[in-house]
Amino acid sequence: MSTASAWSVALLGMEGTLIEVEAAIGGGLPRTVLVGLPDAALYEARDRCRAAVAGAGLSWPNQLLTINLTPASLPKAGSHYDLAIVSAVLAASGVVPHAIAASSVLVGELGLDGRVREVQGVLPALLAARDAGFEAAIVPARQVAEAELVAGLRVLGVSCLADLIEVLHGRPVLGGAYANEPPTVQPPDYAPDLADVRGQPDACWALEVAAAGGHHLFLHGAPGVGKSMLAERLPGLLPDLNNAEALEVSAIHSLVGRPLNGGLIRRPPYSNPHHNASMAAMVGGGARVARPGAISIAHRGVLFLDEVPEFSARVLDALRTPLETGKVTIARSASQVCYPARFQLVMAANPCPCGMLGVPGANCTCTPMSVRRYNERLSGPMLDRVDIHHRLLPSRLGLADAPAGESSKKVAERVRLARERQAERLMGTPWQLNGEIPGAELRRLPRARGMSLLDDAVRSGRLSARGVDKVLRLAWTLADLDGKDRITRVQLASALGLRHDGWRCAA
Amino acid sequence: MADLNLAPIGSKGLGAWGEKYAADYLVGLGWMVVERNWRCSVGEADLVCLEPGPGELPTGVVVEVKCRSGSGFGDPLEAITYAKQRKLRQIAAVWRQVSGLGLSGLRVDAVGILKLPGVAPLVRHVRGVA
Repeated sequence: MSTASAWSVALLGMEGTLIEVEAAIGGGLPRTVLVGLPDAALYEARDRCRAAVAGAGLSWPNQLLTINLTPASLPKAGSHYDLAIVSAVLAASGVVPHAIAASSVLVGELGLDGRVREVQGVLPALLAARDAGFEAAIVPARQVAEAELVAGLRVLGVSCLADLIEVLHGRPVLGGAYANEPPTVQPPDYAPDLADVRGQPDACWALEVAAAGGHHLFLHGAPGVGKSMLAERLPGLLPDLNNAEALEVSAIHSLVGRPLNGGLIRRPPYSNPHHNASMAAMVGGGARVARPGAISIAHRGVLFLDEVPEFSARVLDALRTPLETGKVTIARSASQVCYPARFQLVMAANPCPCGMLGVPGANCTCTPMSVRRYNERLSGPMLDRVDIHHRLLPSRLGLADAPAGESSKKVAERVRLARERQAERLMGTPWQLNGEIPGAELRRLPRARGMSLLDDAVRSGRLSARGVDKVLRLAWTLADLDGKDRITRVQLASALGLRHDGWRCAA
Repeated sequence: MADLNLAPIGSKGLGAWGEKYAADYLVGLGWMVVERNWRCSVGEADLVCLEPGPGELPTGVVVEVKCRSGSGFGDPLEAITYAKQRKLRQIAAVWRQVSGLGLSGLRVDAVGILKLPGVAPLVRHVRGVA
């Protein structure tokens, strides 16, 4: 009876748990058993590994082989345990020494011919391994670049089983050379420029305010006025992510299987799910262990919902909690996972099904009832969470005469300065942006001048108590953009204008 | 001893040769072979032996012999499936009743023989398979 072990990682959401893969040989008819709550993909690792070992010209143990994944009570899923399983088996059968397999973390899938294939979630897995005190990791050669994003971990790339055996003997391999390969052809970062939007200066300004304060934004107006065009340009106005944010965002993107060959994701991500998106696609989900959805992919970036009344009401209402908490917790029978989901929401809608309601010179052909039904598809609580409501009207000047707007670069610079002011004011609090400040904290900030404007609005019923907080948040952002340290009547008046809910009035 | 150089060609001949080779091997361990190709209504046991000990009385062992001339279809012992194990267990029980011998225990073993041409046969003996 001989035993050996190797290490891998089980991912439950973003959380990684170190898994010890043990192999014991001997004591029965030749048979291979895999125990420790594997799912279907993992159970098949048994046959995959066996074929790969045969493909490399080595022999699989011809005795009873027991492979155990501990902790045995934790459900395990996925195909990335192959490398650890093969290492444990080869060490137990004496083909390779035990030491390196037992002190490294191995992540990777095997092909039947012994090739090592890429897997999802290398970055979060290795982050967990480093935090658990491991110093070396063995990963598929093509994912060395992604693995090296984890500082303080020695990364070895293997491209086939023969490489793995060399590495386990402590001999150098060429696998790492893949790291120096230029990243797969990426189009030069195509970022649409705000200068392309013509004849919509107010909308550009609303977008700038949204970018500066991290406020959610609702754009509505006739088809073709530029709602989607504006939304696409929002990520271009946002500043780069800092190190901690970039690591979080990259880990999520690694988990959904997007290659990270170009290093950490430094730009705010943009996610625009189609309006037939299911609940699982939007907030995350899956059979046994939930995968991240569109809102987590948009973490620290922009989630754009075009034609928002066409989304199913259940899916939209599921966004309410993540909007408040910045994360989403998905419970399944086997486990409960939590994904970060602090995104900036941009919604776009037409005023009515035909899109022409309230457009000067156009005729709406919808019946009042159909307009009303269309309006009701967006629930009040949802709209209430959006700070800026902006109605886009067709440009009054001809497009040819309309002056070109400012470039994204100039606006982004103003946004950066406004964000710096916010960071300074909110120093020592967990918040970074005006859009995130809770009401109680808001009242601790210096008092605004000219609050009578808001009091009048509350008294006349145009503004709710929660609405006052929203207006104050916007007013702070406007003050930051103006470079002021206090809110005055000017900012309050503009903020009230930005909050004006033209959507319901249209009905 | 079965002659190494006269390992026959053909699966039937190879099986019979393997059983003889296995019997010689077990006798070499100090066992006594009491039956060869013992048949009953359940099926056939290749060898039935008595292993001395652990106490006064011997242990009855039903032995399944698998012989292969190559590993193209896997290890010889891999051919023993779950159904075969069940059958061997039943045969052992029947044999114990029919023989009426005083035994200290009853066991099923498997002996796998890999006879590659021109090489000495490779024997693997696994105790207590069923």
